[in-house]
Amino acid sequence: MIRAFRRSNMTAIGMILVAMIAFASLASPYFLDYYNIQAVIRDLAFIGMIAMAQAMLLIIGELDLSVGAVASLCGILAGMMMVGQGLNPYLVLVIALGLGALAGTINGLIVSRLRLNSMVVTIGMMGVYGGIGLVLTRGKAITGIPEEIRFLGKGSIGPIPAPFFFTVAILMLVLFITRKTRTGRYMYAIGNSRDAARILGIKVDAIRVFVFALAGFVSALAGILYVARLGSSQTAIGEAWAINSIASAVIGGVALTGGIGNPAGALVGAGIIAIIQNAIVLFGVNVYWQSAVSGFVVVTAIALSSLSTMWDERKLRRGKVAAVARDQAVPKEPPAADRLMEEERA
Amino acid sequence: MPILEARGLTKIFPGVVALDSVDITVELGEVHCIIGENGAGKSTLIKCLTGVYTPETGDVVIAGETVGPHSRSLFDRIAYAPQEIDLFLNLSVAENLFLPFESTGITGLISQGRLESAARPILERFRIGVNPGELVRDIPVSARQFLQIARATLKEGYQVLILDEPTTSLTARDAVTLFDIVREIRAEGKSVIFISHKLEEIFEIGDVVSVFRNGRNQARAAVDDASIPWVISQMTGGTVDQESTFRSEELGDDVLLHVDSLTGRDFTDVTLTLRKGEILGLYGLVGAGRSELMQAVFGYLPVYSGTVDLLGSPLPRGNTYESIRRGLIYLSEERRQMGILSMLSVRSNLSILSLDRLRSAFGLSRKKEDALAREIVARYDVKTPHLDQPIQFLSGGNQQKVIIGRSMAADPKVIIFDEPTKGIDVATKVELYRMMKRLAEDRGVGIVLISSEIEEIRRCANRVVVLYEGRVAGEFGPETDQDEIMRAVIDASPSEAKEMK
Repeated sequence: MIRAFRRSNMTAIGMILVAMIAFASLASPYFLDYYNIQAVIRDLAFIGMIAMAQAMLLIIGELDLSVGAVASLCGILAGMMMVGQGLNPYLVLVIALGLGALAGTINGLIVSRLRLNSMVVTIGMMGVYGGIGLVLTRGKAITGIPEEIRFLGKGSIGPIPAPFFFTVAILMLVLFITRKTRTGRYMYAIGNSRDAARILGIKVDAIRVFVFALAGFVSALAGILYVARLGSSQTAIGEAWAINSIASAVIGGVALTGGIGNPAGALVGAGIIAIIQNAIVLFGVNVYWQSAVSGFVVVTAIALSSLSTMWDERKLRRGKVAAVARDQAVPKEPPAADRLMEEERA
Repeated sequence: MPILEARGLTKIFPGVVALDSVDITVELGEVHCIIGENGAGKSTLIKCLTGVYTPETGDVVIAGETVGPHSRSLFDRIAYAPQEIDLFLNLSVAENLFLPFESTGITGLISQGRLESAARPILERFRIGVNPGELVRDIPVSARQFLQIARATLKEGYQVLILDEPTTSLTARDAVTLFDIVREIRAEGKSVIFISHKLEEIFEIGDVVSVFRNGRNQARAAVDDASIPWVISQMTGGTVDQESTFRSEELGDDVLLHVDSLTGRDFTDVTLTLRKGEILGLYGLVGAGRSELMQAVFGYLPVYSGTVDLLGSPLPRGNTYESIRRGLIYLSEERRQMGILSMLSVRSNLSILSLDRLRSAFGLSRKKEDALAREIVARYDVKTPHLDQPIQFLSGGNQQKVIIGRSMAADPKVIIFDEPTKGIDVATKVELYRMMKRLAEDRGVGIVLISSEIEEIRRCANRVVVLYEGRVAGEFGPETDQDEIMRAVIDASPSEAKEMK
């Protein structure tokens, strides 16, 4: 499993992140300002948790484009329950998380039972969940979110913004699942080959539904925390989250084709995206250029990752050819094998 | 002047040298047979000769000219009929024959009628008794094989025809027809490269034979000067045991698996029984429905009707998790798509079936996983530099050992091996046969061995069930003559199914 993680180029993107921090701090005097860094981390908290959930989906070879819509819908339902019905905010939080998991489960069931492509299904469900949100709010924001819950979104503990603690909790959960549980292993198996997984007796459909449900749960969490931050529930919440979460995961080394990658990498990828968005504002880049700039950086980051793999392959090929040309006996099995076997049996 | 030559061809893939400085010469008007075990490099050579692969070093010389990046049109003189059926199932016979239109001389607007009337004489010549308008997915497998060959000969201006294991899906009768066609092509002044791993075919149709082993062109001789023992010794290096049998000698009475009147999409009304410690061979041509039958028994494919009893109790349908839990394991023929988890490490592949036993207080235990992995690697002699090696870099034989090793660690009562020695070198094959015999005798495991190689069945199986087009065509004991078994395949029809014990 470690190799699966390493081959996701964690070092490469880690270096890119550091490079960007260095570049941003040199280029703008405001970057390293206390409040600016805090703002970056606060933004990162939201993108980051959804990116990690998306990474889990990518690992099993699926995609969920409705994450933003689920987030905003759950935020709206939470707002309605807290403001409209006057329910206890913490109770509402739990209920809304459950509703998010339900939305995710519905996505998962449609994809697995009806054997449909997850990208297409979740684009449709994005419309459904978003539409329900519009109907409920009739386009207006729900204001008057109770103060007690607002701390979770806009407050900080020490220098660290409150939402980021949730992100770290999600990180621990995701790492635990992928490294320490059987379900995590089965997820990678499914991403490598669904057929092989089924032949290994893995309950493929059950696990797929589970990961979708998890994504729904995390989306709801992000949505509610954002509502707490803003102080109101709106349909506009989470609009860019779907695309950014996929980009973060891919930058973080999770393959779009599945079966490989470390979900923690998605958090690093989200960090890169959060810094880009912050830098764009700080540099006073013309607002109309922002999409182009962030798009360009995303493509560059992915390209570097792919180029690094191709370079490795080329080095391997050159080495073998040189060995053959020198008339060395190129071993069919790598030379250390025999020694290893001796040690094992000793 | 030879029409086709390879000089010093070398082709390397990660972890394996597929071709090691190969020389070969093919003259015009010659039937040149290339024989070798699975994995000897035959298909890789062909891919270099047709321009699909570019060799690391070495040259391909066609009609005296060396092929370079600017003379790739020389490859147009080589026609190729691949080993796997490569036709478009949802297009018609005529369309499949003439695609791509540029190289078969069809110009202008395409009309279905025109294609079909152009196809008729070709179908006749190749004795393919189907309508040119039929869809390929509706014609029998043998017709598809001939169609693929006919298609290859339509390439304008070809001089060398390469046939890659063309008799895989053909009965003996069809094979005879094929040989006649090959002789006709030779009489036209063309050359035919005939790749096979079946000895009889060499002596039937070949003028020259080149024997491949482990990526090298081991030896070349005129067929008239060669003999069967000589070819075998070149193929195997003379060190490998050709004669021993590996049948189980400890058969029990308990019935482990009973399949009763099972029907599914690709098989009909199949009944068979497997006893403790028995190795049951399931023989038939490619396309006979053997894999589909056992996959349905296992729960991977759907069952329309009939029952499966495992260890005396009915096995729930369509549930691979239950099947494995109760002790039934199926090992697929398609190692790459349905066997290994290609992007993961050897360690992960080894532990995936046993995760239940590798838990500790805080989740999966790395220590326990390592211990299990090392044990399997040692016991089955898996050659890998370390446990973190991505499994895709292991040779086919070692990948197969990983698959088998991890399955045995899950303590099964019945294992279904689907073409377990496909693409595996001779030495490893014998290791696998020994392993199966030990499993059956020492642990009382019931084994179903699906194979298309009559030799393998003869050496390993206690009993043989023959399948033809989805139905049981016969059941035979260990001392039955090979010809009896082959005849069952040719003469098969439901009313003639024989039972001999």
